[in-house]
Amino acid sequence: MEYFKNIFSGISTALVGMKITFSHLFEKNVTLQYPDTYHPINSGDMPANARNRIDVDIEACIGCLACQRDCPVNCIKIETVKAVAGDEPMGKDGKTKKLWVSQFDIDFAKCCFCSLCTEACPTDAIFMTQVFEYATYDRKDLVYHFSDLSAEQVQAKKAALAKATAEKKKAEAEAKAKEEAGKNEA
Amino acid sequence: MALYDVIFYLFATIVLVSAGGVVFSRKMMYSAFSLLFTFFGVSGLYVLLSADFIAVTQIMVYVGGILVLIIFGVMLTTKITGVDIKSGTLGAFQMGIAGLASLAIAVFMIIMSMNTQWMQKDPLAETSTTVEAIGGLLFTEYLLAFGVAAILLLVAFIGAALIARRK
Amino acid sequence: MEQNFVYDLIGENLIGYVIVAAMPLMFVLVYALVAILGELKISAWIQERLGPMRTGWKGVLQPIAEVVKLLQKEDITPANVNKPLFNVAPFIMFTGAYAAYAVIPFSSVFVPSGINIGLFYVFAVSAFAIIGIVMGGWASNNKYSLLGAMRAAAQMISYEIPIAIAILAVATLAGSLDMQEIIKQQAGGIWNWFLFGGTGSIAKVWVIPFTFALFLIYFIGSLAETNRVPFDIPEGESEIVAGYHTEYSGMKFAMFFFAEYSNMFVVSAIITILFLGGWQSPFGDFMNGPVWQSIWFISKAMFFVFVQIWLRWTLPRLRVDQLMYVTWKVMLPVAFVAFFAVAFWAMIK
Repeated sequence: MEYFKNIFSGISTALVGMKITFSHLFEKNVTLQYPDTYHPINSGDMPANARNRIDVDIEACIGCLACQRDCPVNCIKIETVKAVAGDEPMGKDGKTKKLWVSQFDIDFAKCCFCSLCTEACPTDAIFMTQVFEYATYDRKDLVYHFSDLSAEQVQAKKAALAKATAEKKKAEAEAKAKEEAGKNEA
Repeated sequence: MALYDVIFYLFATIVLVSAGGVVFSRKMMYSAFSLLFTFFGVSGLYVLLSADFIAVTQIMVYVGGILVLIIFGVMLTTKITGVDIKSGTLGAFQMGIAGLASLAIAVFMIIMSMNTQWMQKDPLAETSTTVEAIGGLLFTEYLLAFGVAAILLLVAFIGAALIARRK
Repeated sequence: MEQNFVYDLIGENLIGYVIVAAMPLMFVLVYALVAILGELKISAWIQERLGPMRTGWKGVLQPIAEVVKLLQKEDITPANVNKPLFNVAPFIMFTGAYAAYAVIPFSSVFVPSGINIGLFYVFAVSAFAIIGIVMGGWASNNKYSLLGAMRAAAQMISYEIPIAIAILAVATLAGSLDMQEIIKQQAGGIWNWFLFGGTGSIAKVWVIPFTFALFLIYFIGSLAETNRVPFDIPEGESEIVAGYHTEYSGMKFAMFFFAEYSNMFVVSAIITILFLGGWQSPFGDFMNGPVWQSIWFISKAMFFVFVQIWLRWTLPRLRVDQLMYVTWKVMLPVAFVAFFAVAFWAMIK
């Protein structure tokens, strides 16, 4: 008797399952067709604090390297040139900054979207955007250059710095020589 | 009947080549799979002889049953024992005996085929079903053979079940 | 061969033979595309997804894209496979699947070969599929492939027995193994189909449960024969990767794939012929011309293809011991009882 009951329940439960799947056949589909009819940014579904592609406001960056140090995957590469007096970059708050950021590269092929850099930044120069579609055909295109200085400008800044330091050294050397000369006189 | 001849020679070639493969290949597995083509070719020849039921039975029993059994045997023993089953060559003495036996069989077959009254019939003529004739013969003239075969199969079946049963 | 309109048009010559042999192939090609799309779309709808939407209107060109992709793929032959057997296996599998189309009557005026033991023939050529699977699985030199091949062979051989009994019962009822003859005996509307005991007086009512049981047995067995869910143990992705075709890619995988889909149609066609009146219209002589007949036949068979797809997304896979329990301890005794009942009915009718 158990045997027939098993057969019966086997068939009937299979039919119950088939009924359920058949009813789902005609139910409304839940698929959202990104990007044709649905886009998370346009529809406002993207959370405000979502971690997407990073952007850098180079004007606000003071070149402190905090983000570079905090990056767990070393995808940020910053180089700075000390500014000489009289030719200093202007910060967002109207104060002058001490460093020219000559290179600010982020390799998004490496970036792990941990957002540690944005938290470390003292001036909120590095921040998360809403952009998440930035696939490229070449991996090299994923290295973003944020510095607004051209190569010539960097050269000029470096030359100016070298000149300034040379002058300073010379002045120091002269001062020292003077001092020593004064000592000798005395 | 050019088309008929072409088809006959096609199937005959398949049978001969694959039967050669069965005999001469060193690997047991190749022999087993060559047998597939031999059975196929033989069943094609049966069809040309208007024996369609025999042809289909040939595929059904030999390909679907016996060949699968052979392949299973070869496959499992190879994998379990770790020995690649290959057929080796015999010594001179055994080869002599085997050659004599084969020669005797061949002579017997040739004599038999010479003395048989072959059915001469237009091969492409419409033929009525052979199933009814076979069934009729099985249950009248050859009833004893049929019954004995059935009992033999039953005994083999029960024996296999007994051997395979867990103690 | 009066049952073939192609021979009436062209005459019984070599060209006629080639055309007749190629016609089912054309059908299989188109059918396979439809079935692949059906598989994708039905699985998506059952799961409340949309399925492919980006190739053509609502994604209807997706199967073509998939076939083109398969044909373009590199045909990899792994280093340690048994090359001759590895290369031959998919073609043997497809030969077995396609050979069955030789006797499937698409209409009263078209059957590629009207041999009078058609049912037996279809049943026999399915043996080639087993050999193809075992060959591919063994030659792949992969433990999963070998396991899959062994499971497939064990499963197909076991399920052949209840299927054979179901076929035998219908053959007894019709008194013939000729498919056209079997279909002709089911003329005159739904009530005369063998699912409802065939033609006969109202006294046939008592036999309907038995024919229904045979129908179920054949359907379940055919699922196992084609390795469809819930009997996809030989291919179980989650256990043995893809079973016997794990190592295959490109064209050769396409052959396996194709053979599987054409087998799905073959078993659906047989079920239609055996139990649902083949190409007979469900309304007796109404809408029963040759063209209508092929439409009826294909739509009935496609319904069973649909049911197979539908079941795939409903039932979980059986365990191997459950599989053997179902065939040997449930289907076989039930099939025997039903067979005797049907044979008794055929005798007193």
